[in-house]
Amino acid sequence: MTPSARALVVLTVALALAPLALPPFFLQLLTEIAIVGLFATAFNLLMGFGGMVSFGHAAYFALGAYAAALLVKRAGVPMLLALPAAPLAAAGGALLFGFFIVRLTHTYFAMLSLAFAQIVFTVIFKWKSLTGGDDGLLDVWPPAGLKSPAAYYYFTLATVALSLVALRAVSESPFGYALKSVRENPRRARFIGINVRRLQLFAFVISGAFSGLAGGLFAFYNGSVFPDFAYFTKSFEPLVVALLGGAQSFFGPLAGAFGFKILEWLVSRQWPVYWPLFLGTIVVVVIVALPLGFVGLAGGRGWRTRLTGKT
Amino acid sequence: MADPTDRQDLVLQTIGLRKHFGGVLAVNGVDLSVAPGDVRAIIGPNGAGKTTLFNLLTGDLPHDSGRIYFAGEEVSGLPPHRLCRRGMGRTFQITSIFRRLTALENVQTAFLSHHRRHYNILMPARRLYRDEAFALLERVGLHEQARKPSGILPHGDQRRLELAIALASSPRLLLLDEPTAGMAPRERHEIMALVDRIASDTGLTVVFTEHDMDVVFAVARRITVLHQGSVLTEGSPAAVRANPDVQRVYLGQPAAR
Amino acid sequence: MSGLSVGMFLFLVSVGMSLIFGVTRIVNLAHGSFYMVGAYLMVTLVEVLPDRPWAFWLALLVASLGVALLGAVIEVGLLRLIYHRDPLMQLILTFGLILVISTLVLLAWGPDNKSVSRPDALAGSVPIFGQPFPSYYLLVLGLAPVVALGLWLIFYRTRWGMLIRAATVDREMLGALGVNVAALYTQVFAFGSWLAGLGGALAAPTIAVALGMDGDVLTTAFVVVVVGGLGSFAGSFISALLVGLLQSFGILIFPAISIVLLFAIMAVVLVVRPWGLLGRPEQ
Repeated sequence: MTPSARALVVLTVALALAPLALPPFFLQLLTEIAIVGLFATAFNLLMGFGGMVSFGHAAYFALGAYAAALLVKRAGVPMLLALPAAPLAAAGGALLFGFFIVRLTHTYFAMLSLAFAQIVFTVIFKWKSLTGGDDGLLDVWPPAGLKSPAAYYYFTLATVALSLVALRAVSESPFGYALKSVRENPRRARFIGINVRRLQLFAFVISGAFSGLAGGLFAFYNGSVFPDFAYFTKSFEPLVVALLGGAQSFFGPLAGAFGFKILEWLVSRQWPVYWPLFLGTIVVVVIVALPLGFVGLAGGRGWRTRLTGKT
Repeated sequence: MADPTDRQDLVLQTIGLRKHFGGVLAVNGVDLSVAPGDVRAIIGPNGAGKTTLFNLLTGDLPHDSGRIYFAGEEVSGLPPHRLCRRGMGRTFQITSIFRRLTALENVQTAFLSHHRRHYNILMPARRLYRDEAFALLERVGLHEQARKPSGILPHGDQRRLELAIALASSPRLLLLDEPTAGMAPRERHEIMALVDRIASDTGLTVVFTEHDMDVVFAVARRITVLHQGSVLTEGSPAAVRANPDVQRVYLGQPAAR
Repeated sequence: MSGLSVGMFLFLVSVGMSLIFGVTRIVNLAHGSFYMVGAYLMVTLVEVLPDRPWAFWLALLVASLGVALLGAVIEVGLLRLIYHRDPLMQLILTFGLILVISTLVLLAWGPDNKSVSRPDALAGSVPIFGQPFPSYYLLVLGLAPVVALGLWLIFYRTRWGMLIRAATVDREMLGALGVNVAALYTQVFAFGSWLAGLGGALAAPTIAVALGMDGDVLTTAFVVVVVGGLGSFAGSFISALLVGLLQSFGILIFPAISIVLLFAIMAVVLVVRPWGLLGRPEQ
C-alpha cells in the first residue's frame, strides 16, 4: 500500500472510532469541521480551481439551510427528505445569480456576488412571516435516531465524504480539465470551442449546490437557522479557510477548516472576545506574507500533497 | 481572384471589411479570398492593419461594416468559440497555452472540447484522447515533453504546442498570427516547414501574418500585401516580390535581400 | 427628510471610499469601520470635554482627525505592502481589518449601545411646513452643500486636488513627473478616512452608536459607490443623494423591499455598466 493510502486508512479508522474515545463536545467540533470543510471545498472549486473569487457564497449556504429548515418547520417534511432540498435550492439560486455574475470578472465578479448575497440576507431578514426574520427558525432537529452527537457526527461524515468524492470526481473529469483551461487562459479556451460563460456558470451551480448542502447539514447540526447565515462576514469564512489551507490543492480547504476550527475553539474558550481580532490579524498576515496559504508555502505535508497530486 | 459568387469554393472570404479605432481606419475595405489548400501570407509594414484584420477574422473584434464568409456561410460577428466549432483554428502572436497544465493535458483538453465532452462530470479525463494527444504531440515534435508543465517549456516548444492545440480541433482553416515571433532563425524555418508539411498532408488551409520575409517566401503559396488598411496587391510570391508598389511601400528595400 | 441626512452621512463615507479607490485602486472595505470609529470617538470626546458651546464642534474636529490618523497609520504600515498585489487580495485584507477594528472598538468601549446628545443649540426642532423638523438635521442638510462645495474647491481649484485627479487617471505618469506618489497615496487615504470619520461623528447624535454600524453603513456605501461609479466624486454625490432618498421614501412606500431594491439596482448597474453611472471603464 502506498504511504498516502495507508495514511488515508488510518485517518478513516480514527474518524470512525472517534465517538468511542472523544467526549460529545469534540464530536460536535469534528462535525463542524466537516461541514465547514465541505463549504470551503465547494467554494474552492470556484476559486482555486476555476479562478473565480466569490464574495457572496454565504447566499448559497443560507439558501440551503433555510430550504431544509422551512420544509421541516412549515411543511412537516422529515429531515432525510428535507436535506436534499438544500443543494437543490442553493443550485437554483446559484443558477439565477450566477447567470449575471459570470458575465463579469475579477473585482466586479466579487462585488456582484456580494450584492446578491446581501439581497438574500435582506430578503431572509425582512420576510418575517416566512423565515422568522431576525428570530430565525428554531427547533430544526434531526429525527431521534440521528440526534445524538455521535449519530449526527457519523451522518455528517458520511455525507461530507461522499460529497468530497463527488467534487473530486468533478475536478478530475473532462469538465474539470475544461474549467482549469478557462482559469489558465480564457482566450485560448474560447479558441478550442469552449463557451466560457456557460462553463463557468455550470461550475458556479455545482459550487453553489454543495455549499447549500453544507448549509443544510449545518441547519440540523445547529438546531436553528438565522439570517446571518447569509451575511457578508459569513461569505469570508470559506475564503479564509481555503486560503489558510491552500487554495491550490483539493484537500487544502479541508485542512484549513481543521486548523481554523481548532484555532477558533482554542481562542474562543479563553478569550471569546478576541476571536475576530485574532482571525482578522491572521487574514492580514496571511495576505501580506503568504500568498498561497500555509500548505502552498510549506509544500504541503506528506499525505495531503501526495493525495492531491497535480493541481 | 475568385468570383465572389463562387463563395462555396472558398474557405475564407471577406467583402469590404472595415474597422475604426477612434479616428483611425485600421482596416479599410479589405476584400480577401482564400481558396482551399492555400498557404496565404498577409504581410505589410507596421500599422498596415494585419493584426486588426486577424482579430476581425477570428471574432475577437467586432467589425464596423463588411462581411466575412467561412466555407460559404456568413460568419460575421460570431464569437470565437462558435468559429472554432465551424472549423477555424488559430494561434496567437504571444503564445497562448494553458501554462499550468502539462503539454499532454493541453492537447487532451482541446480534444475533449472538440468532441463536446467538456460538460462531462461523470468520468475521469486522464485517459481520454490520450493516444490521439500523444500522436499529435509527436507530429509537432513534442513527444518527449508531453508530461511536462507547458509553462516551463522553451519558447519554441510552446509555439509547437499551441500549433498542436489548434490542430486538435481538426480545423479546416488555420490562422497563425506571427507564428515565428520571438524565435531564432533556424527554429522559424523548422516550425514553418512543419506547418507546410501538415498543410500539404491534410489539405488544411493556412493564413498567416509575418514580418520575416525569408519565412514568407519560403512557405507561402500566395501573398496578400496590406498597406494602410487596404489590400495593396495580391499574388504569387514571385509576382509580389517584383511588384514596384510593394518595394516602394517597404521603403525601397526590395523584398528579397 | 431624515433620508436626506442619511444621504449626507452616506455621501461622506462614499466619497471617501470612492476617492481612495480612484487614486490607490483599493476598495477599502474597512471604510465602514472608520465611520464607526468616528462615531465612538465622538462619544468619548463629548463626555470628556467641558459642557461649552464650542465643545461639540471641537469634538467633531478631533474625532474626524483621529480617524484620519488611523487611516494614515494603516496606509503606511499595511497597505503599502500590498499595492502591487491582486486587487482581490487587497479586498480580503481590508476585510481582515474590519474584524480587527471592530474587536478593538468592542474592547475600548464595551458592548453596550452608546449615544451622543446633540449640542444645546441644536437640540430642539424647527417647524417647517407645519411639521417639527429637528434642528440637528437642518444643520446636517445645511452642511451638505458646504461640504460638497468644499470638496469641489479642493479637487478642482487646488494643486493638491489636481494631483489627485491626475492620479486617478494615470499614476505612473504622475510619478514620472516627479510627484511623490507614495506620499500622495497616504494623504488621499488619510483624507478619505477623515471624511468617513466625519460622517460617523456627525451621525453619532442621530443614531444608536453600536457595534455592527460598520457593516450597515459599509453595505449601503458600497451600493452608492458602485452605482455612482468607483472613483467618481460627482457620481458618489448624486448616487448618495439618490440612495438616501430611495431609502427614506422606499421605507414609506415599500418597507420590505426598499433595501432589496437598492441591491438589485446595484446588481443591474454591475451587469450593464460596471464602472457606474459616472465612472470610467477600467482599461
